[in-house]
Amino acid sequence: MTIVELRDVRKVYPLGKVEVEAVKGVSFGLEKGDFVSIAGPSGSGKTTILNMIGCVDRPSAGSVVINGHATKDLKDRDLTTLRHETLGFIFQSFNLIPVLNVRENIEFPLLLGRERVPKKEKAQWIDYLIEEVGLSQWKDHKPNELSGGQRQRVAIARALVTRPEIVLADEPTANLDSSTGEQILALMKKINREMETTFIFSTHDAKIVGLADHVIRLRDGLVTENVRNGKDMGSVVGDLLENSVAEASPASSSGASSSAKSGG
Amino acid sequence: MPVLLRIALRNLLEHKAKSLIIGVLLALGVVILVVGNSFMDTAAKGVKDTFIANYTGNVFVSGKAKSPISLFGIQSVGQMDSTPVLPDYDKVLAKLDAEPGVKLSTGQVTGYALFSPKDSDNQGFAMLFGIDPSSYYKTFDGFTVLQGRLLKPGEDGIVMTQTYLDRMKKDQGWAPTLGDTLLLTGMSKVGFKIRSVTLVGIVRTKNDSDATSFISWVNVDTVRILQGYTLGNDEETPVSADQKALLAATDEDALFGAPTVIETSKKSAAPVVSAAPAAPRPKAVVDQGAWNFLIARTDSEVAAAKAIADLNAYFAKEGIDAQAADWKTAAGPFAQSIDVIRIVFNVAIIIVAIVAVIIMMNTLVISVIERTGEIGTMRALGAPKGFVRKMFLTETLAIAVVFGFVGLLLSFGVIAAIQAAHIQAGNGFLEILFAGKVLNLSVNPMSVAMSLILVALVAVLAHLYPVSLALKVEPVRAMQTE
Repeated sequence: MTIVELRDVRKVYPLGKVEVEAVKGVSFGLEKGDFVSIAGPSGSGKTTILNMIGCVDRPSAGSVVINGHATKDLKDRDLTTLRHETLGFIFQSFNLIPVLNVRENIEFPLLLGRERVPKKEKAQWIDYLIEEVGLSQWKDHKPNELSGGQRQRVAIARALVTRPEIVLADEPTANLDSSTGEQILALMKKINREMETTFIFSTHDAKIVGLADHVIRLRDGLVTENVRNGKDMGSVVGDLLENSVAEASPASSSGASSSAKSGG
Repeated sequence: MPVLLRIALRNLLEHKAKSLIIGVLLALGVVILVVGNSFMDTAAKGVKDTFIANYTGNVFVSGKAKSPISLFGIQSVGQMDSTPVLPDYDKVLAKLDAEPGVKLSTGQVTGYALFSPKDSDNQGFAMLFGIDPSSYYKTFDGFTVLQGRLLKPGEDGIVMTQTYLDRMKKDQGWAPTLGDTLLLTGMSKVGFKIRSVTLVGIVRTKNDSDATSFISWVNVDTVRILQGYTLGNDEETPVSADQKALLAATDEDALFGAPTVIETSKKSAAPVVSAAPAAPRPKAVVDQGAWNFLIARTDSEVAAAKAIADLNAYFAKEGIDAQAADWKTAAGPFAQSIDVIRIVFNVAIIIVAIVAVIIMMNTLVISVIERTGEIGTMRALGAPKGFVRKMFLTETLAIAVVFGFVGLLLSFGVIAAIQAAHIQAGNGFLEILFAGKVLNLSVNPMSVAMSLILVALVAVLAHLYPVSLALKVEPVRAMQTE
């Protein structure tokens, strides 16, 4: 079942007197329960696409359909409801509310909706999530008392607390060391399997793309590869690793190109 | 505790410097409002109590005039308007006395006069309240007799205040003493009038102050004559043969020829009238119905308001050219001075409030800018705009309440310090404002409540622009900033 669909999506940002086209006509669909990686180098349009899927930004042209809702037709209030009920967010910089402790941060999205969850049920659910992300000892601590990895675990639990169908994660491991990053990805993958929640995460780290069921590779605002369910996954990861190395070398800043195996 | 309040209180603690800036402004606002209002209320109550108890009563009835009229006459600029006589006095008095709640009533004629002791060049000025002692002293019973006694019905006498006599002695080097015969010179539209009265009593009034000490109480007929309220004069003036000749003269030489009635004394250069001993002058026929005002004391302010309304309706219905008003109208410039001070105070408060709003607004704008990421995150997580609005409103109200009460405690401290300092009134005006010689502030719970509400309103007003900025923060900002 397709849960997210992008149809010829374009996004143009004004930059002074000129317009910059960050996304140049992208189309793809994502299946429910997938662990999706939107991969690509910096400036390829990963975050812009994630923002549009997350209903925090609107496309300049084309359409984004989330769980059957075309976002361009929705008013701000409806988008807010859609974000609250269908989407969960994990941010690169964790974005926890500094004055709330771990438990309160996780509980926070539940306080925003109209639906009233019984107190006991809510408490049990939050405790379960805290247990799942391994922060039982830290539930009364404030974000500034936690490590980066712990903060991202809180963010994961917070993203899951409303039982969303889709969790969006913008470079969730970018601010973490590699070991912690791997732990976070493993946790996300575990929850993905256990709860059948669709995870869509952006990354430019080739090493974590390997965990994905579905990889969408971007370059210069266009989909260059769209590979799902292990088909050609090895080559995609291999290409990404090569590109990562190439990007890191000074001579590779221009001219790198790849052929689209599955176009957008 | 609701999450909004939890976030609000923790944010206040988290951003201590900003909270302190806003809080100190709010607390100072409360101090200014509570102490200022306390002073205003004290002054207003002091003036009101003093005037109602000593001079104006609760209900004041007068004739109508083009300019504002008070117990002290007509307030007109550039001309001397005479105070109108109250028309249909007996009817008005009957109506007034019939009003439920009216306990006591009395009439009054007001005038001004220069006074001087007989055979002396010394002179003083007095405001004369012409009264009927039989009803006046029942209506106003706050007199303390220091020397002599109060006026008796029917006598030509004057009662003065000790405060005024003390001031005269200090400023002019003389003052009348008990038993002195004083010549009162009054000026009215019909010319100068002179009457002699005896200083029968020296008194002190309730909350006696320098500003009203120049009021003297005189028998009403004396003031009527000084004001020219006479129906005519039936006295016969004996005329000598020389005077008859003078009056009969038809040419200037006869009129301005050599004086025949003046002789020069060798001992004194001063001319002496060589007339025969003067016969006692018959009194002028005084208009016994001429009163300027009717003053009444009532059971309560509600009764006073009702009586005033009833009387004005009655005057309109009967076509009587009179008006009923409250003590404030009667007190005239004294009550107005309180109003003027309150207006000045309120204007100052408005200026302070505007400055406070601007400073608070800037501080809150900085806070919104700093918390753009947090607001964006909340919006991304599904917080509606209303949630963000409520969050800032809760923070604003929380800080207003916390520092409002801090300000309140400070205010009580300041008021206690003022009480302990026993601040003396340096002049008569301050004595009126202080309702006595010493400033004795009282705290009105209603004023305190109003001050807190006003400060909360200022805080709410200050948060409107910052919150409008916060509402413009798009959820996408959550992705962009930390």
